Amino acid sequence: MSVSPSGVPSATSRGIDIALGGRTIAAGLSFDVPERETLCVLGRSGVGKSSLLRWLAGLLPGSPARTDVAWMAQQDLLLPWASVLENVVVGYRLRGAPAPLDRARALLADVGLADRVDDLPAALSGGMRQRAALARTICEDRPVVLMDEPFAQLDAITRLDLQDLAARLLVGRTVVLVTHDPMEALRLGHEVRVVAGPPLSIAHRTRPAGCPPRNPGAPALLTEQGALLATLRGAP
Amino acid sequence: MSGAWSRFAAPAIVGLVVLAAWEIAVRTGGVPPYILPGPLLIARTLVADWGTLAPALVATLRIAALALLAAVVVGVALAVLFTQSRWLERSLLPYAIVLQVTPIVSIAPLIIVWANDVTLSLLICAWIVAFFPILSNTMLGLNSVDHNLLGLFQLYGAGRWRTLLHLRLPAALPYFLGGLRISGGLALIGAVVAEFVAGAGGSGSGLAYRILEAGYQLKIPRMFAALVLISAAGIAIHLLLAALSHLLLRRWHDSEAGRAL
Repeated sequence: MSVSPSGVPSATSRGIDIALGGRTIAAGLSFDVPERETLCVLGRSGVGKSSLLRWLAGLLPGSPARTDVAWMAQQDLLLPWASVLENVVVGYRLRGAPAPLDRARALLADVGLADRVDDLPAALSGGMRQRAALARTICEDRPVVLMDEPFAQLDAITRLDLQDLAARLLVGRTVVLVTHDPMEALRLGHEVRVVAGPPLSIAHRTRPAGCPPRNPGAPALLTEQGALLATLRGAP
Repeated sequence: MSGAWSRFAAPAIVGLVVLAAWEIAVRTGGVPPYILPGPLLIARTLVADWGTLAPALVATLRIAALALLAAVVVGVALAVLFTQSRWLERSLLPYAIVLQVTPIVSIAPLIIVWANDVTLSLLICAWIVAFFPILSNTMLGLNSVDHNLLGLFQLYGAGRWRTLLHLRLPAALPYFLGGLRISGGLALIGAVVAEFVAGAGGSGSGLAYRILEAGYQLKIPRMFAALVLISAAGIAIHLLLAALSHLLLRRWHDSEAGRAL
């Protein structure tokens, strides 16, 4: 774990080398992550942004192991045989630590699942499962949260709801959110960084005005979305 | 068509039609009972000889059940060991495969001689036949865990033991139960085959021994009655294991979700 001068664990990494299956995904990449903010990493499929996130999480060979990150993926990664409540506290069970069941219940109420705590994931809709996954991610209470296209499989309206919820619950944490959706990046990111590759490079950075979650209908946001789309298409 | 109709009535009608055709063919064709007894005669024999057949059925079922239990214990234990250590898997799995592909009929006489105890040798034979599907399926299940979930478990600080307990074993359960259903039938077949080999040597008390004995005495209807009992036992084992599967998986696994028992 690297620690910044301010004492907050940092996700900033230098000299990132990723090679998977003989392909170079990243070579000597430096990737700074602003603290206590949400950084959205925007890129087309296949540029290696998920690999970068896995590297930051310490899940790839050669990447430094970390104990200060929470993880949320495109799949809900809920254990199908465990109740929603047990899924939210699964990290504590896995470490053999006392599970904060009251906090987990409060979080589930916060994401709108108060009456579903004892259900199994199979009884929930896709949006509800992703809410439960978000509650689990928050319940871990880690300073750094890494999210890999967490809302990609949801319908447009549910996605907007969950983006609002995530923005509210993730305030004050260092978040890296990987997405291929410019609107999602612009709604949620304090900073939006467009990546191209492989090998990964940073093609463009922008800091949209205002605070997340931003209004999806705001003209400035739509203009910026058009610009980002152009950048993405020009940066295959 | 409703589910109950297609599940119970349809096979029952097919069975009744076949039995009726069999009975009619035997009666009109004048086939003597020592060549092919009709279903009614078999049923009557089953009732009349219940006193000798029932203890034989119990003896065979006991061997099959014990062999299945041993297959579960050894199969699951080996599967866990093999998935924890590639080195162990590479050294031992080939021998498990050798056991699996060796025809049980050809080694049963040796086992009976070596074990020097009829029950034990029957048990070993039935176990050899039954354990491989459990080992192989459980290994497949333990190795089929979503790598994203493994990553999550790693990030959340789960050690090897807790990953096994909370992730690999539950994820392997549907695969294990699939193997168990195959092994349930195989344990019965293994027990019967071993009894045949042992019974040919004059020792035994199971259904296969009753079949051999009835064959020697040309009591063909009793042979068929014993065969009916073996089939019924096989179906009962299958239904029992299917019910177990349903009970354990219906709430969370796609293979059983939304299905009536």
